[in-house]
Amino acid sequence: MTDTTWEKPKVEGKQLPKSNRIQFILAGLILLGAVAYLIFSGTITGGQYFLTVDEVVNNPEYEGRSVRLSGAVLGDSIVFDAETLSLDFSIVHIPSEFDNLAETLHDAVNNPDATQINVHLDNEVIPDLLQHEAQAILTGTLGEDGVFYATELLLKCPSRYEEAVPGQSIVEGQ
Amino acid sequence: MLAEVGYLSLIIAFGISLYAIVAAFIGERNHTESMVRSARNAVLVAFGMVTVSTGALLYALMVEDYTISYVWSVTSPSMPEFYRATALWGSQEGSLLFWSFLMAAFAAAAVVLNWKSHRRLMPGVIVYTMAVLAFFLGVSIWVENPFVRWWLDSGAPEGQQVLQAVFQPAGTVQPTATRLAETANGLNPLLRHFGMAIHPPMLYLGFVGFLIPFAFAMAALASGDLSTNWIKASRRWTLTSWLFLSLGLMLGGRWAYDVLGWGGYWAWDPVENAALLPWLVGTAFLHSVMIQEKRGMLKAWNMALVLGTFSAVIFGTFATRSGLVESVHSFARSGIGVPMFLFWFGVTFISTAMALWRYNQGMLKDEHEFKSLFSRETLFVVNNVVFLAIFFAVFWWSFGAPIVSELFFNKVVTYGEAHFNQYLWPLLLALYVLMGIAPLSAWGYTSVKRFGKAILIPVILSVVSLGVFFMMGMTDVLSLVGYWIVLLAGWVAIYETYRGFMARQKIHNENPLQTVAALLQRNPRRYGGYLIHLGVTIIGIGIIGSTVYQAETQQTLETGESLEIGGYTLTYHRLDTGLVSSDGRIIDRATLTLSRNGREIDVISPRRDFFPESEMNTMTIADAHSSLENDFYVLLVGWEEISTQRATFKVYINPLINLVWWGGIVLIVGTLAASWPHAILPVRVRETMRKGREQ
Repeated sequence: MTDTTWEKPKVEGKQLPKSNRIQFILAGLILLGAVAYLIFSGTITGGQYFLTVDEVVNNPEYEGRSVRLSGAVLGDSIVFDAETLSLDFSIVHIPSEFDNLAETLHDAVNNPDATQINVHLDNEVIPDLLQHEAQAILTGTLGEDGVFYATELLLKCPSRYEEAVPGQSIVEGQ
Repeated sequence: MLAEVGYLSLIIAFGISLYAIVAAFIGERNHTESMVRSARNAVLVAFGMVTVSTGALLYALMVEDYTISYVWSVTSPSMPEFYRATALWGSQEGSLLFWSFLMAAFAAAAVVLNWKSHRRLMPGVIVYTMAVLAFFLGVSIWVENPFVRWWLDSGAPEGQQVLQAVFQPAGTVQPTATRLAETANGLNPLLRHFGMAIHPPMLYLGFVGFLIPFAFAMAALASGDLSTNWIKASRRWTLTSWLFLSLGLMLGGRWAYDVLGWGGYWAWDPVENAALLPWLVGTAFLHSVMIQEKRGMLKAWNMALVLGTFSAVIFGTFATRSGLVESVHSFARSGIGVPMFLFWFGVTFISTAMALWRYNQGMLKDEHEFKSLFSRETLFVVNNVVFLAIFFAVFWWSFGAPIVSELFFNKVVTYGEAHFNQYLWPLLLALYVLMGIAPLSAWGYTSVKRFGKAILIPVILSVVSLGVFFMMGMTDVLSLVGYWIVLLAGWVAIYETYRGFMARQKIHNENPLQTVAALLQRNPRRYGGYLIHLGVTIIGIGIIGSTVYQAETQQTLETGESLEIGGYTLTYHRLDTGLVSSDGRIIDRATLTLSRNGREIDVISPRRDFFPESEMNTMTIADAHSSLENDFYVLLVGWEEISTQRATFKVYINPLINLVWWGGIVLIVGTLAASWPHAILPVRVRETMRKGREQ
């Protein structure tokens, strides 16, 4: 076979010359340096703060910066125009740390004092999971008008598949 | 009854796996053959008991035993049998049990298949596989028990009347069967998809399979037999696991593409990335292990990679199952987080310590030195560096940076899909460059002249084939550079295979199929590897095409009206609402026709399904006209409530997307070819070959 001629080591047995070793070290450093630079610069420039509604509303320095925002969806506020694919809704503040998502969302939407923010998306098909008490995770920027202009929308609906105290429905007569 | 059987066999399996560890350890230490054999039998019995336990849960799912809360929470009376069976891995408790079942199966198979050929490593393999199995069985027994049942305590205050326990607590009664059936949850509608039904088992097989190479490596470290034995023993296990992991990742992508809509297949979501991490280290290992086999180099490095792959498997399991990825603090949300983290830490710490110990003893020294910057072994090392660079980048942006920023700066920083796409493409392209040049380089030292001669024809072929993409209207310069690099890698694989084929045809008088079989037989990894490279090339072409040249539009159409995009005409005919399907869902479906150059080519029916029994109740299901050239992908966005005359559609054209799936199939075939070399040989020949190898 032709490839056998390829695989014969040509310089078997010779000692590695010093200049060669320096070559290896240099090439290795350049390679690792490039990789380190890529990861480092990406880490510095590409990150987005993951914020709560309170943080976005109360800190004007975030205005115009690309951030991620999480909150609970208010079902009554959802307005979708299928012809223009423009989607508006409001979310309310949920804390960044919680033990039970379903409970946290439920408390948030029923708290009249919770901070609210209006969200606008363009060119978006209304997601199946966009409903009352869903958790919305948005990527976008806060506009001068106080509306959060999102480009990406992720939703979580823990309601049925992650009950706080599961199985309560089994009790008869509920 | 089923709950008792399942739970007790779990406990027995746990006890037996602990026994196997002790017996194998003592047997090895005192050189007592009967003890080691007893440990082996214990592995088989443990597998038997986990099988009984898993069988009990599966049976409970099939016969609708809703007294078991797992069955109640993942199935409902209206579910078809197929999804009832796949609900075994539909949620945490069941999927952990299923995971243990696969793990026990792998351990039993490894012990049986490698008993004679690698007897010396067996006690170690038993100890490490059973230790890992015992951990997961323990999690099922104490933390995520799939066999707990519902009990009612009518004397308790409201809100606390429903209890979960395996055995009946005092003063409680079992809820009635009808009430349980009425309230049963059913599987999340998003998961009712063929890809989602088989994606988890494939991924688990891939994850769990890496336990075997890990156990062999640990056994080698423990026994001090650090020759190539452990690598030979684990080679096929590694390839098999890699095959399943690749298949699992691709099925996941396909599921996302079909079900999540929007035409995306990889979003760099932390959960997806957690599954990608072991694949990246595992792929690096598959490459660098060849250097050790051929040249006796990179021994310590390979050891690190195989241990790292398994560490990544456990980390991925921990990250996806504990809820770590949303926030560090969701840690505590699932009871599994802390034990999983400690286990991951333990595995990583012990394996690192063992490897360092042997390294300091000088047992992982290389037999050759690197001689030239331009040699096959150096290029393999560069390949490894790039794979690991991708690994670290993905790990850091998905988990490292978010956790560090939250712990130390009290701010959560996250990295989105666009970020990954923007920063990872140079590294991904570098892999394709290496795929093009490394197979043409020689061991030790490559002369530039020879290399130039070898690459000339693939370069010509790649430039010529680049013309095809240009003619298709893909004129973006950067994408053409990308295409060229990817094509070159593919042509090198094809041309090298062709050269091997022609060289053999010259010598032997045989038909072409015989030659192909003989090539694969004589050098399965070389030619299987080329086929895998070809598959990866096809995937690369699909990725560039579907990301750079995706086109989209949306429009509201009256019945009979059409929209035009990319040379296609899409005409809306009617909307049927309220169709009821056999599993109870209510379907609203639009009917459109797609034509090109005046000829009708397909009928497209995007729809929206409504699941009355579930709260998460609607699902938009796209329909597409699929060809090698593109997917013409249509979503039904909405319609006017009063009349169904006007409806809005969103349309995507995803060029070359199907090459991603076809390339995946080529990759799978290549992996099978590389890992199943002896299947086509008669037993007589196999025997001679085996003897030849053992001499």
